[in-house]
Amino acid sequence: MSYAYFFGCVIPSRYPGIEYAVRWVMGPEGLKLDVSDIEEFSCCPVPGIFYSTDRDTWLALAARNLCLAQKNKSEIVTVCNGCFSSLLKATEYLSEPKVMGQTNKVLSKIGMKYTGIPERVEGSNRRVFRPVSVRHFVGIVHTDETMKALSESIKRPLKNIKVAVHYGCHYLRPTENTAIDDPNDPIKVDDIVKILGAESIEYDDKLACCGAGGGVRSHIVELANALTEDKFKNISNENADVIVTPCPFCLLQFDTAQKSFTKRGIPVVHVAQLMAIAMGADLSKLGLELHNVSCNPLLAKIGVTEVSR
Amino acid sequence: MGEVEKVFISGLREKLIEDKVITEQDLVPEFASEIIRYGGKDVMTCLQCGNCTGVCPISLKIEYKTRTTIKYCQFGMKSHTLSTRWVCATCYRCYEHCPADLNPAELMIALRHIAVREGIVPPFVKTAASNLLRYGLTVKPDEAMLKEREQLGLPQAAITKPGWERVKKDINTIIETTKYDRLLGITNKEEGE
Ligand code: SF4
Ligand code: SF4
Repeated sequence: MSYAYFFGCVIPSRYPGIEYAVRWVMGPEGLKLDVSDIEEFSCCPVPGIFYSTDRDTWLALAARNLCLAQKNKSEIVTVCNGCFSSLLKATEYLSEPKVMGQTNKVLSKIGMKYTGIPERVEGSNRRVFRPVSVRHFVGIVHTDETMKALSESIKRPLKNIKVAVHYGCHYLRPTENTAIDDPNDPIKVDDIVKILGAESIEYDDKLACCGAGGGVRSHIVELANALTEDKFKNISNENADVIVTPCPFCLLQFDTAQKSFTKRGIPVVHVAQLMAIAMGADLSKLGLELHNVSCNPLLAKIGVTEVSR
Repeated sequence: MGEVEKVFISGLREKLIEDKVITEQDLVPEFASEIIRYGGKDVMTCLQCGNCTGVCPISLKIEYKTRTTIKYCQFGMKSHTLSTRWVCATCYRCYEHCPADLNPAELMIALRHIAVREGIVPPFVKTAASNLLRYGLTVKPDEAMLKEREQLGLPQAAITKPGWERVKKDINTIIETTKYDRLLGITNKEEGE
């Protein structure tokens, strides 16, 4: 199966290094997966705005992206919990024939039609339509085969590094949409972290929200930051060296909120960036110096010199 | 109803409704059916057990309680409820923990649908939605970010290529068709244009 990258809005506008890391990790120098670009992909669209105010508009905009993947016969690789849950939820809505019909009426205005990807049933002339598959980067990496390839490609083992994994709400819930991990005891990011040689620490309220979702960050940033602070305290109590998340929006929240409540920050990176570090990518390409909280103490502990340009 | 300001955690200011005495004229009997129409199908079946409030990260911090909001909806306290504003983080914890398998998060989303239809549109919603109309993305990378991309050796951003015009056109067509632009009062024109 071929994949198509879906980077969304937060990564290109705030953390381009995540995009580099994902491309590098999945590409020929990394896990050698068959991934291509679909340049017409737009915003997922962001659930906190569109799903919150008009489901019909949200669904038509999401279905437009799905149609592009359908045409390419690719699975969508999301790197953000928001994009993941928005697009995945859209495929569920579209599995209702009536809803699909209504959405296609809107899409007909731009010459598109969502059907799912046709597949011939073996041994007959019948075709079935499979919904466009929406995947999370973590789910793609976490297969026996890929994890084995990953363990064999570690160039800079992350020895003695204490990682606080933050999954983020829309990786876990609502469960009928996002059943890629155990919602009450998720393991996939922890597993990846361990394969990289680091320790994934336990801390209180590990599954709590970062505080940013649903428009809270844009609406009342102090409220979002207060929730982040609670979580940060628990992480800081366990002396974590780095916070690792599969979501750029949670990353943005942890990375920017810290200055409102602490001087001694803890660096925050996307799981793809941590993988790229351990797999030996060029550190100056991971955009780490664009993060608010300096990643240099982390790099020093791994035993590599600071990134400078 | 007068509003008072209360100060909560870390100096956070909350506008609360001072006068909790609600008269019959303040109630909107068809409010629950409106909520159901916009996807909050569980409004009337809530048992008021309070589990949702107990697990809600926002309810811990401010004068917003998930269960209470649902009760207000059942009573038909429309203006009261819509003033609760956009504080739900849509974390879906309430949904995971509801013993009756109800979905309070979708109810909060239904309230937002109703709020924007009453003209209560938070500025950040307008900004993000107009960005999508204007640029084809809800957050647009600025010049500095585009430079960073070049330095990192990333492929040229699609939004800077000629093909992006078609993307913007299609997005505009979708939004005009669903009349979302009129709902929010947004246009694809830059300020002052
Ligand atoms: S947990 Fe469910 S039944 Fe209990 S108050 Fe909340 S919504 Fe109602
Ligand atoms: S989805 Fe909203 S109401 Fe439910 S627990 Fe999360 S923040 Fe609270």
